[in-house]
Amino acid sequence: MAQALIEHVKKHCPGAVLQTHSQFGDETIVVDAERWLEVARLLRDDPECDMALLVDLTAVDYPEREPRFEVVAHLVSLRLGHRLRMKARVGDAEGREVEIDSLTELWASANWAERECFDMFGVRFRGHPDLRRILMYPEFQGHPLRRDYPANRAQPLVEYRQVENIDKLPPFGPDEGMSFGRQTHDRRTSRDADGEN
Amino acid sequence: MATFKLDDQDIEFLPGDTILKAAHRAGVDIPHYCWHPGLSVAANCRMCLVELLPPPGRAALKLDVLRWDPEQKSYIKEQKPKLVPACQQSVGEGMQVLSQNSEHVQKARAAVQELLLLNHPVDCPICDQAGECRLQDYWLNHQHEKKRMRDEPVHKPKAVVFGPTIVYDAERCIVCTRCVRFCEEVAKDPVLSLRERGNQNEIVLAPGRQLDHDYTLMTELVCPVGALTAQDFRFKARVWFLRSARTVCVGCATGCNAYTDYDPRNQQVYRHRPRENPTVNGYWMCDAGMLDYQRIHHHRILKALVDGKSASRSSALDRAVALLSGTPSGKIAGVLGAEYSQRDNAALLWLGKQLGIEAWFESGRPDGKADDILMHADKNPNSAGVRRLLGSEPRPSSELVQGLEAGSFELVLALGSSLKSKEGDGPAPIPGKRIVLSRHPGPLTEGAQVVLPACSWVEAAGSYVNAQGVEQSSEAAIEPLGDSAAPFELVGALCAALGHPPPEPPKGRGHRREASAPVNDSGNQGASAS
Amino acid sequence: MEPLDLDLDASEIELENEPMLLNIGPAHPATHGTVRLVVELSGEVIQRCDVQIGYLHRGFEKMCERGNWTQVFPYVDRCNYVSPMLNNVGFALACEKMLGIVVPPRCQYYRMILGELARIADHLTAAGAMAMELGAFTPFLWMMKVREMIWDVFEEETGARLTHSFGRVGGMARPPTESFVEQVGQVVPHAIQVLGEAERLLVTNRIFLDRLQGVGVMSAEDAISLGWTGPTLRASGVPYDVRKAHPYLRYGEVDFDVPVGEHGDCYDRFMVRIEEIRQSARIIEQCLGLIPADGPVNVDDPRVVLPDKQDVYTTIEGTIQHFKIVMEGIKIPAGEAYSYTEGGNGELGFYLVSDGSGTPYRVRIRPPSFYVTSGLEKLVTGAMMADVVPCFGSLNMIGGECDH
Repeated sequence: MAQALIEHVKKHCPGAVLQTHSQFGDETIVVDAERWLEVARLLRDDPECDMALLVDLTAVDYPEREPRFEVVAHLVSLRLGHRLRMKARVGDAEGREVEIDSLTELWASANWAERECFDMFGVRFRGHPDLRRILMYPEFQGHPLRRDYPANRAQPLVEYRQVENIDKLPPFGPDEGMSFGRQTHDRRTSRDADGEN
Repeated sequence: MATFKLDDQDIEFLPGDTILKAAHRAGVDIPHYCWHPGLSVAANCRMCLVELLPPPGRAALKLDVLRWDPEQKSYIKEQKPKLVPACQQSVGEGMQVLSQNSEHVQKARAAVQELLLLNHPVDCPICDQAGECRLQDYWLNHQHEKKRMRDEPVHKPKAVVFGPTIVYDAERCIVCTRCVRFCEEVAKDPVLSLRERGNQNEIVLAPGRQLDHDYTLMTELVCPVGALTAQDFRFKARVWFLRSARTVCVGCATGCNAYTDYDPRNQQVYRHRPRENPTVNGYWMCDAGMLDYQRIHHHRILKALVDGKSASRSSALDRAVALLSGTPSGKIAGVLGAEYSQRDNAALLWLGKQLGIEAWFESGRPDGKADDILMHADKNPNSAGVRRLLGSEPRPSSELVQGLEAGSFELVLALGSSLKSKEGDGPAPIPGKRIVLSRHPGPLTEGAQVVLPACSWVEAAGSYVNAQGVEQSSEAAIEPLGDSAAPFELVGALCAALGHPPPEPPKGRGHRREASAPVNDSGNQGASAS
Repeated sequence: MEPLDLDLDASEIELENEPMLLNIGPAHPATHGTVRLVVELSGEVIQRCDVQIGYLHRGFEKMCERGNWTQVFPYVDRCNYVSPMLNNVGFALACEKMLGIVVPPRCQYYRMILGELARIADHLTAAGAMAMELGAFTPFLWMMKVREMIWDVFEEETGARLTHSFGRVGGMARPPTESFVEQVGQVVPHAIQVLGEAERLLVTNRIFLDRLQGVGVMSAEDAISLGWTGPTLRASGVPYDVRKAHPYLRYGEVDFDVPVGEHGDCYDRFMVRIEEIRQSARIIEQCLGLIPADGPVNVDDPRVVLPDKQDVYTTIEGTIQHFKIVMEGIKIPAGEAYSYTEGGNGELGFYLVSDGSGTPYRVRIRPPSFYVTSGLEKLVTGAMMADVVPCFGSLNMIGGECDH
């Protein structure tokens, strides 16, 4: 069903579809990033496509590929019942020039989805009415879902307080409190290196 | 180039190749246990059996077999094609080999795997090979069923000490004879052999002998299961916590390529493994090199010393600057480190040039045992590199000691812990003032005015020129321990404090701090040949 | 005392006529969920509204990239934490889609029953909380009582009331207990009875109807454009239910209706949820009759499912199987897939990208309440301040899912 859809897209937007595949039964087209809006408009407005529902818009980071990011949109037609995944590749290896057209003029769901994509990956959407962070606070630096953002970095707005004797707070150090079944016989922290504990 | 067909792929081969060798070179995996690219072919595991389609016009070689039919409850005569071991069958142009696409091959692999695990002990939780064990990988990929035997597995000796470095577990052994072939062909010391037959087979030592040649740890490397384990690594770390950095062994001037396995959580190095390099070390490393990683964590100078007492790096640098500024350049002797990388030595030469030092000596370990397999007599990795940077031979160390006693030298700026000398450990306590950058304590650091802690070779990237003149780069693995830093950084700090421009890195490879794939190996950068 | 303004000229009294910025902060007694609404008021009428989410963002998608596929189950549990079974089932189906395996029928019915129970709990919470915020505390407590009974079932089956992480790739963590069918068979009719009582308290109440009917109207086209799915979309008149449109598990074999609203206002959204509870009860009763009494719950594939502990401790094959699955993770073939099920709030989608190893490369949770909450701005603009409460309550924004 979606195969005919892909043929239709290829006919009406010649040269825009760079690649197709249907892994695990999902029809996917990889679209030239410059023709992103054009193909999306065709998919929404053409009565044979009628993809009225933009179910999801997100991105995936492939740092060893160039272009690095893949913006992925999932489209659904409620009337005709077919689904399509539309992808476009943007961005260079350093994570610069990550720009693509916004789909907010076609689907209102793209508004927040693109804001989240910008927040998490740094993809800029040209023509978005209000491109700002949505999940992270405005003072946050960086784009967390990029593969080179370290998962254990914390950016507290208020500095963590310094606590003396942190082993005396629960969970207790190895020699204190009830054992509760936790066996910590050989656990030595750097604090114990001078022989205190 | 000549090709043959493996499944649906065209694989190139060189004359004399076997199917498995050509596939291995192309990166296609045919499961095997007993074959090793650096050893002779034994073909005793039968895991690499593949189906060879007959040449056009000839019938396939078929064997009569009996198959149990559960519905008829009797055996039925059938024929199946004779499979050939890929490690032994030489390749011809246009040959058609079926490996994954053949049902017979899949059944054969499942059968071999079942038989290999038949008497295998349930040792995974305590076996060091877990995580890099072929039995585990091939069971999941090729058999993934329970075995049909209901008897007690055969019990054989466990934890047999073969020598000072290796422990053998006969129950885990699949008798692939890789260790036997290695000792005979590569180490040239046939001390291992087989005993008994069938499921009583085990590996034994030659009577009255121990496994004590210089390449015993390679037997642990080639063992595809956990039968041979290194005493040094036994029960120390689980392999899935270890990351591998691509380094160069600094034990001698051969410069074998190695993997340094370290645990990033506690920044500790646990072992070395050889990295394949056909031109330098092939697939092997010697025991001394394999155990050399212990020097990273033992007997290290980790804090700067001023007049023998712990000090901060800045106070040590201040003292060094005072010493260097207060001595005329003709009276300063420079000592380059044959154990240190090109970048470290180049930085020291640069500083020397700025200060006007012209007398250059060399530090390093004394000569040791050599053989014609891998070990080189010169136990320093970068002697050739030092000569290349200097452009000439460094002066003999005895001249330095005499010069210091006579007064023609007042100050020594040294990289390294002991001066190189042909006899013994280097000269006895050296008179005069010294500024030493060193990893380990030694005659040069004893009584020195300033000692700056240098980091080891796995804590900073660097390159080393081996005895054949090949410059090889080595990645950094762990962060510098304690207060130590890379010598080129320490020299850079000295340059800055003295008001000189910072040292430029020498032209060559591997001078970036981040890990870059070293260019010296032949292209199999991630593959380990075990 | 003299009047204070005796000497003041009328023209000197300046009254502010700028719109007032009011912050309905992330912690508010009348909004359930952590969301911040910054509204610009002119009198009682809202002129602009900025919906700010992200207060419950915990970085699930990043954390999923640092473990195995099986370790994702606790994370998805905590997305829609009022109906965690639906999340588990959705993710398990996504992984099974990529692996190409189908779970045995007993597991399919088991997943359906537990999933529909979770959906009932979700809708009860949504309806009850919405009523409570309008001032009707009693129906809320009655619905919570029913929810406790449902959680008793979950506790018996899974060991935990709420975040049970019970789903596994290729099956469930444990087979159904012996008392499962009987216990569920007692809970569901009781739940419907209490639901009927609570509903009767509300739907004839003049105040309740006045506050909900005609308030927060969303047309079908706007809803589709905003990406709405689930009860909110169906209330606007679009009969789209993933269970009917793209049946998964055994939804194609059971009989149930899909309630669809006419006006798209808060009342319709409320009633659609109440009716869906009744339809879920229908599904559960049919499944209780269809679930096989015995048989395997997990698919019989040693690359995916853990072996019995007996085998792990006594045979080498069991040890190896356990070792490979636990240490390296299930090896899902490289590629990408998008799998979707009907969650409590709409189409819950999982877009998984695998690189062939046991660690996920990217796990994208398509949260239905994220898109539903983005419509709040449209619903509330031009409405009165008091309408924010029923509008927001009718959307059932679950913070864990919206912010993942």
